Order: sequence, then C-alpha cells, then structure tokens
Amino acid sequence: MREKKKRPGPIRLLMGLCLLASSFTINAQNNYTISGNVKDEINGETLFGTSIFLKGTTIGAITNEYGFYSITAPQGSYMLVFSHLGYKEISMQVVLDRNQKIDIEIAESSTQLNEVEVTAEEPERAILRKPEMSVSKLNIKTVKQMPVVLGELDVIKSLQILPGVTSNGEGSSGFHVRGGAVDQNLVLLDEAIIYNTSHMLGFFSVFNADAVKDLKLYKGGIPAKFGGRVSSVLDVRQKDGNSKNFALTGGIGVISSRLAAEGPMFNDRGSFLVAGRGSYAHLFLKLAGEKNSVSFYDLNLKTNYQLNDKNKLFLSGYFGRDVFDFDGSFSSSYGNASGNLRWNHIFNDRLFSNLSLIYSKYDYELGIEDFEFDWISSIKNYNAKYDLKYYFSDAFKLDFGISTIKYEFDPGQIKPTGPNSSINELQLDQKRALESAAYINAEHKLTDRLTAQYGLRFSHFNRMGGQPLSEYANDQPLTYNPTLRFYQRTDPIGETVYKKNESIETFSNFEPRVSLAYQLNDYSSVKFGYSRAAQYIHLLSNTSSVTPLDVWTPSGKYIKPQLSDQYAIGYFRNFKDKMYSMEVEAYYKTVDNRIDYIDGSDLIGNNTIEREILNGESRAYGLELLFRKNEGPLTGWISYTLSKSEQRTFGGNAGGPGINNGDWYNTPHDRTHDISITGAYQFNEKWSFGANAIFQTGRPVTYPNGQYQYEGISIASYSERNADRLPAYHRLDVSATYKPNKRPDKKWKGEWVFGIYNVLNRKNAASISFGQNFETGANEATRTAIFGIVPSITYNFKF
Amino acid sequence: MKFIYRILLSALLVGITSCTDVIEVDVPEGPIRLTIEASLDWEKGTTGNDQTILLSTSTPFFESQNNTAVTGATVQVRNNDSGAVFTFQDQNDGSYITSSFIPVMGNSYTLEIQYEDEQYTATETMLPVSEFSSITQSREDGEDDEALEVNVSFQDPADIENYYFLRFQSRNDRLPELFYIKDEFVDGNEVTFYYEKLEDDQDNIKEFEPGDTVDIILLGISEDYHNYLRLLVEQFESAGNPFSATPVALVGNCINVDNPDNTPYGYFRVSEKVASNFTFE
Repeated sequence: MREKKKRPGPIRLLMGLCLLASSFTINAQNNYTISGNVKDEINGETLFGTSIFLKGTTIGAITNEYGFYSITAPQGSYMLVFSHLGYKEISMQVVLDRNQKIDIEIAESSTQLNEVEVTAEEPERAILRKPEMSVSKLNIKTVKQMPVVLGELDVIKSLQILPGVTSNGEGSSGFHVRGGAVDQNLVLLDEAIIYNTSHMLGFFSVFNADAVKDLKLYKGGIPAKFGGRVSSVLDVRQKDGNSKNFALTGGIGVISSRLAAEGPMFNDRGSFLVAGRGSYAHLFLKLAGEKNSVSFYDLNLKTNYQLNDKNKLFLSGYFGRDVFDFDGSFSSSYGNASGNLRWNHIFNDRLFSNLSLIYSKYDYELGIEDFEFDWISSIKNYNAKYDLKYYFSDAFKLDFGISTIKYEFDPGQIKPTGPNSSINELQLDQKRALESAAYINAEHKLTDRLTAQYGLRFSHFNRMGGQPLSEYANDQPLTYNPTLRFYQRTDPIGETVYKKNESIETFSNFEPRVSLAYQLNDYSSVKFGYSRAAQYIHLLSNTSSVTPLDVWTPSGKYIKPQLSDQYAIGYFRNFKDKMYSMEVEAYYKTVDNRIDYIDGSDLIGNNTIEREILNGESRAYGLELLFRKNEGPLTGWISYTLSKSEQRTFGGNAGGPGINNGDWYNTPHDRTHDISITGAYQFNEKWSFGANAIFQTGRPVTYPNGQYQYEGISIASYSERNADRLPAYHRLDVSATYKPNKRPDKKWKGEWVFGIYNVLNRKNAASISFGQNFETGANEATRTAIFGIVPSITYNFKF
Repeated sequence: MKFIYRILLSALLVGITSCTDVIEVDVPEGPIRLTIEASLDWEKGTTGNDQTILLSTSTPFFESQNNTAVTGATVQVRNNDSGAVFTFQDQNDGSYITSSFIPVMGNSYTLEIQYEDEQYTATETMLPVSEFSSITQSREDGEDDEALEVNVSFQDPADIENYYFLRFQSRNDRLPELFYIKDEFVDGNEVTFYYEKLEDDQDNIKEFEPGDTVDIILLGISEDYHNYLRLLVEQFESAGNPFSATPVALVGNCINVDNPDNTPYGYFRVSEKVASNFTFE
C-alpha cells in the first residue's frame, strides 16, 4: 500500500486566508463597487458566465449562477464592458465615484432559429487568466447544433464528444469522466442530486433540453463548494422561465413529445416554467403486436419570485420515470424526483448568499407477475446548504458555506402480491447517514499574470445506527480459501443492533483544492490544479454497465470512503485573434478504497454486501487535446484523449492475493484512444450542415480462453479480468438544415432538419456474448449492435 | 404579448434496430486442463449402486469436443464416515463406472483421482431432496400466454437452509434448461418453476408441442455447489451481456494436490435425486 501523504495543516491554511482577506479590506478605502444582475433581453433569463470588465485594465468579474456580479475598482472613469459569447457586446462609460448598481439586459447577436455556435466561453482575456481548468461547458444552443439519434437532443451525449468524457457504449446509462466510474460523478439538477441520468437504459438523458439553461462539467479542479464524489461534478441548471412574455415551446416526434410553457407571473415580479416530456413509442409497438414495451416521461417545474431588490425566492422541481413492461410477466419502473427551495439574499453590493433546501429521491420497483411479488428499493436525501460569496476586491473573492445531507437508504424489500405467491416477505436493513461539510475557497489574483484559486473543504460522514449489523469472526466477512483458491463468504457469528442515536462509524476528511493560472502572454497561459475529494456513498454494481436496479450504500464498518487525489496541468492558447483555440491537459488521478467484487459476487437482495467485496484502489491518467475553430462559416472542434484507467484489489483482511491475483486490471471504462471531430458548416442562407465522427478503442471485456464439457453443455473458462477488448467503436453522423424562404415580414419561420446517425451503418458491438448454438451445439460468438443507420427528419417552426 | 409557438415534428424513416449476428472473434488460448464430472446422484427409491464418473480435457473455445475423453486414470470414492472405498472401472471412453456404490444420507465422501502422475481430490456431503408435489402443463403461465410450458412444484422443508439443482431436458433438443435454487426467499413454501421455450427464428428454437417429452430431475445440493451452479448457469446464459457480471473462472471443489496451479475443472457432487418425465398433451 502507499504511504500516507503529509498534508498542510488545514487550520493554518484557514488562518492564512483570514489574514489575507483582512489585508485586502484595509487597502480598499478609495475603491468603489459596481454590482448588479445580467439578463437576456428577450426572455429575461439570468445569465451565468457573462464576463464584465473595465476596458484597458485587468479588472473584471464573471456573473454567478444567479446572474449576479460585483466589481470593485479604484475611483475613476472607465469603459464598462459586458460580454457573453453569442450575445452582442455592450460597453458603457461609468464614472466610479460611489458604489452603484447596474442591472443590464443583453441581446443575442443573431436571431436565427438555429444559430451556428460552438461553445459558450468567456472572451480570451478572462479564460486565460481564470484558474478554472478541466471544465467543459455547453450551452443548449450548441447541443442543438449536433446531429442526434432518434430526433431527441441529449446533453449527456453531447458531453461525450468532449475530451475526457466517454460512455460505456450504446445502450448503457451514465457517463465516465477521466477514467472514473458512473457513481463517481456528482450530477446536480438545480442543486438536487440526480442518481440516474438516463431514460431507457441510456438512449435518452433525463435532462429535457427545453428546460435546461446551461450545464457545466468539472472533470478536475473541482471547486471546494462541491463534494461527495471523487471523479466529476455535472452542474445542470434549469431555466427560470421567461419573465417578459408568455411562451410555448414544444416538439412532436415519433418516439417522444415535449411541451414547455413559461411566462411572467406575480405582476412581473417572477416567472415560471413548466416542461413535460413523454415517449409514446410503446403505443406503436403495442399496435405492431410487440408485447414488450418501454416508455418514459418527465416533468420540470421552476418558478421564482423577486421579494425586493435584495431577496429572491426560487422553487424548482423535477419528476421523471421509466416504465418497462414485458408482456405482463414482469414490469419495472424507476426514476428520480427532486425539489429545491432557494433563497437568494444580497447582503450588500459585495456579499451574495444563497440558502437551499433540497429533497431528492430515486426509487426502483420491479413486479414479477409469474412469482407474484414486488421488489422495491430507494435512496432519499434531504439537503440543506448555505453558500456565500464575498467580493473583497478585484483581486480577492471568497466563497464559503456549509452543507448537510441526510440520507435514507432502503436497499430492498420484497412483498408478495398474491395469495398464491411462494415468496416470503423480506426487508433488507434500512440504512441512514449524515454527510456534512464546510468549505472556504478563495479566488486570488496574485499578480497581473498569476491567478490562484485555493480552498479547503472539510467533510464529515456519520453512518447512523438504527439497524443491526452482522459480526464475523476476526472481523472477516469473507476469507480466502487457499486450497480451492477462491474467496469464500463467512457465516456471521452474531449481530450487533445499533440504536438510532448511536453511530456505527464516523469519518472526516480535509479536502484541499488548488488551481493556478499563469498567463504567459496575451494569447496563452498555463494552468495547474490539484484536488482531493472524498466520496462516502457507493453504487453497488458488478456488471459491465450500471443498471437502474443497482443499489447505493453508505460507507461504514466494512466500506471505507473513497478518496481521490488528482493532479492536472494544462496549456491554453488562442491563435489568429481567437479564430482558433487549443487546450491541452494532462492528468493523473488516484482513488483509494475503491471496492471491487469477488469472483461470483451476488449483489441482488443481499443484506451482507461486505461478504461480496474487497477494498482496492484505482488510478487513471491521460492526455487530452481540444482544438477548436471558433469563427467563420466552418466551426467545430477536434478532441482527442489518450488515457488509461485501471484498478487493483488486494485480499487485505480476507487474506489471499486479491482479485485478478492482485495485479492491475483495466476498469470497464478504460479507453486508450478516444477521438471525435465535430463540425458545423454554414453553406449559405438556406443550407447548413453538421457532422460528427467518433473513434474509440473498444471496451475492456473478458473473453473465454477455453471450454469443457459439464452437465451436457459446453462451459467456457475465463482467466484475467478485462484483459480483452471489444472491436473499436466508430461512427459518423451527419445533419443538414434547410430554411426554405426567409421573408422577414413573415412571423412564421420554419426549417427542416435531416439527420443520419451512423451513416456508414457500422455494426458497432455493444457486446459480444459467447455460447452454444441451440441447434448445433457448436460454440459461437454473437455480437449485439444497437443502432445501425438511423435517418431522421425533423420540422421545426416558431411564430 | 408575443406568442412563440414551436412544434417539432420528427419522424423516423427506419425504426430502432437492435440486431444480433454471429461473428468471428479471436479469443485467447488458456491451458488444457482435466475436467471432472463426478455426479453421484442417488435416485429416491433405488439402491444407488450404479454410478458413473466422466473425465475429459478442456479444449480451445472454438474447437470441436470429439476427442477429449481421458483414459488411464484411477478413480475411487471413499466414504469418510464408514471408511468404505468404491473403485470405478475405466471404460476407455472417458467414463469410469461402479455398481457397488453405497449411498448414505448425510455421509461425507472423498473423490480421489490419479491421472498423469498428479493426484486430484474433492470432498462433498450427501444431501436430501424433496419429492415433486406436482408436474403440470399450462399455456397461460410463463412468459408467453400462448406457449406451452411445464410446471414443476415441490415442497421446501421449513427452517432449514436448502439448495436445489433443477434440470429440464427436452428429448428433441440438444441443450438443457438449468435452475439453481436457494430457499432464502421461499423457505417452507411450495415452490413452482416452469420451463417454456419461446419461438426464436434466429436460433431455431420452437415452442413445445403436444407429444414433446421433457426429462426432469431435482437434486438436493450443498451451498457451495449452488454457488458454483449459479455462476455456471448465469455465464452460460448471458456471459458478455453488458448487464451481466464480468465472467470469471468457475472454481469447483476439486483440487490438484501435486500441482495446485493445474486446477481441474468440474465438480464432485453427491446428491439425492428425484427424476420424472413429462409428455405434453
């Protein structure tokens, strides 16, 4: 095992921060502050990530998630600039001789229905100096530009064509970031934790593009205000709702339909958004005589109310569900539900605060008609958090806050549903836990060229009582059998019942986060980042792809919190006056206490998971390259990732060599090469084209290395875990958009979008299974390919 | 007030196609090993004297299995409680037989094989099984409401841990249908399982028809053998499927005493058995 690293004393770090902070306030006597909100002129949505700066100086700020900004500068006369990609830049002369509030609305730079735009990024001066790195941002307009499968926009699929992000293949849920597992991503929808990001086993994402304002994926350099997962944070924010006009948007497709209504309310003091989406392909399948059916629906809600200049309330909610029905013999349904009440309070022009009360739930239900029973499992959490941001000066900004999450795990209950059921009622032990954290983070401009972001998160996890826990001889829930050479479950020798007010186990961790950006010159910078993160809850999954029925479990006596350390270094450069840009990043990440499952583990309906697992570690490293063309009729990017993701699991307390003989083995989401090219070409006023090309090394799998006869069948033998690979994956998608006639006097505007997914009709193997032919008995390899060529045609119009 | 109304009309020209096909794949080649199929099944109501043990070798995955019989081994089974030893005669076709085996419920037995200067052993205990309480046919049960299935029921004894192996073999088919059963969720209840075949043109599977006969056996087995069968059946039915666990080597109860790395495949079981057959009407 590795030696424990020495870390700087957190208390000393905190004290240093406070000292620094006070020195800035002392020097700030002749300074004045401009603060306010930035909104979209057309729909009144607040804008996140707008760059505001004083021309000719290095003083600037970026609007926060709620559109708020605050700039402090010495007394004087300045040109104040508001700049946001895709919007017209606004400049105004300001005389700074007192603190002032400037709220502004900015207009989109083009009113085209389907605008050509690649990514929303701050202008070069800001992006180069900001220490933020390893972040992928997409706005919905960009997502809408990409060719889609089945005519439905998918924000998660769009992320997967950026470097460092992959899926586990067509038809699998979730996504992987820098070699991390699906459960190592913190996915937030309006701050509420989303436990399952996919509908229909990954064919659609749970995010309705009509309701989403923006999303930000932190692949590394995760700010101290986020915690609880070791790999990444996907922060998705819903639209607030049009505060200017009532508006209806919608879509009708063969697979699914959408409808969203939004508009002002409370006498223009607030607005609302209601968006719904549902699939009805199952109806057609039923008509076609297909007995199995799959469907999903979801509902997004958001409303806000401006109490006064300094106080604003937000209420948002999400409810989504998938329903599977297999000819009445079994059915399952699952989904997320969440709600969030937020209160924005502006103490003064430099101190912004937000209080959130959040509820989130994921549940899974399975009904087996044949055996007359229901299986139900769920995870619920209640979360309170209070975040503050203090804009001390132009050079120093401080984020700090606290958060606490109460978890309730119901890993499974079985209920007989009929008098003839041969199944007995069963309740697996329900588990409870409390995860609390406090953080402080500074954004500090050290010199004109060097900017740092440093912070510390302190997290605490309390695995609460209220459940029995099995006891094992020598604390060994499983032992290595050296004669037969495999891990064997041990029978419990007793049980300890923990009372509700007792703790089973507590953990606490200091999580330092540091990033530095050094601007080399006007067009390039280098950045460095280090972050440590702790993860206290784990998704139990021993399959190649996670499934909706996988159960979350808290850390405790036998499962330790996962701890990750990530180092990243990057080089950022613009060419030809921002026409092209390039980002290169390298990372190295280790995760301690990553569990893996013994050979033959059985997780379903299991009350003693500790008898199925061993504690191990994982590591991932890679090089990411993103080259973009930002302007001109042809825009797009090339993204390339070279990476390795592997894990190692020793026997530990159970003895023996561990999984795969204690050697390193590939994680199922290891991809050596991952290349994607995305382009959009504006041919003329009527025609524009888009294309995606993707190439990926195949998924690691375990192939048989022999066979033998037993019970009249051929049994495959296997050796090393994940040592083989599926064939490489590649795909080409194209789309064309045609705008028939552009008469400006006509209110009614329409366009045709033609798309072809997988133009080359390549049969990419989603899996290869090995078995005997039912008729001949000969062994054969069967490939499952999910999508061949899929053309689609879409008509969009608005009036 | 300005209304924006937007309708998205999307039509798919070709439906979603999830298709499967048989392809050529290069697979690794592991070592060739001895395979032991030592299944001493004692059918209720018989003496259980006649028993057969099968020995063969493994082969590369895509090779045919015609010439894998192992001959020239010495095979014997010892009753660890009584000390009795039963020697199995080499039939020179991979099978080794005896007609003097004496099964005793609850007794522990050890298998001993000497082959190519290496000794293999395994130990297992004879466990009882329940009688079938009914074997019926139906159409409305099972996955498909119209296809024929055979339903097998038996009574699980309450308050003791039981494990079962249920095997269906249609006389018209090459491959059996295997079930591993534990009574954790059904302790003390009457338990029913069905075997139904769903029409599949690609795999040439046909539904049961009146006149088809299915042989059915039920065995009482150990927890370890249940765990072995669970993996065996899961991997046989769905290895490689993304929603199944990563396939792993099956670890049976036979060990190579002289060369532990050359672990044999297969299993040594001693079980009470009930057997029946059913012909669809």
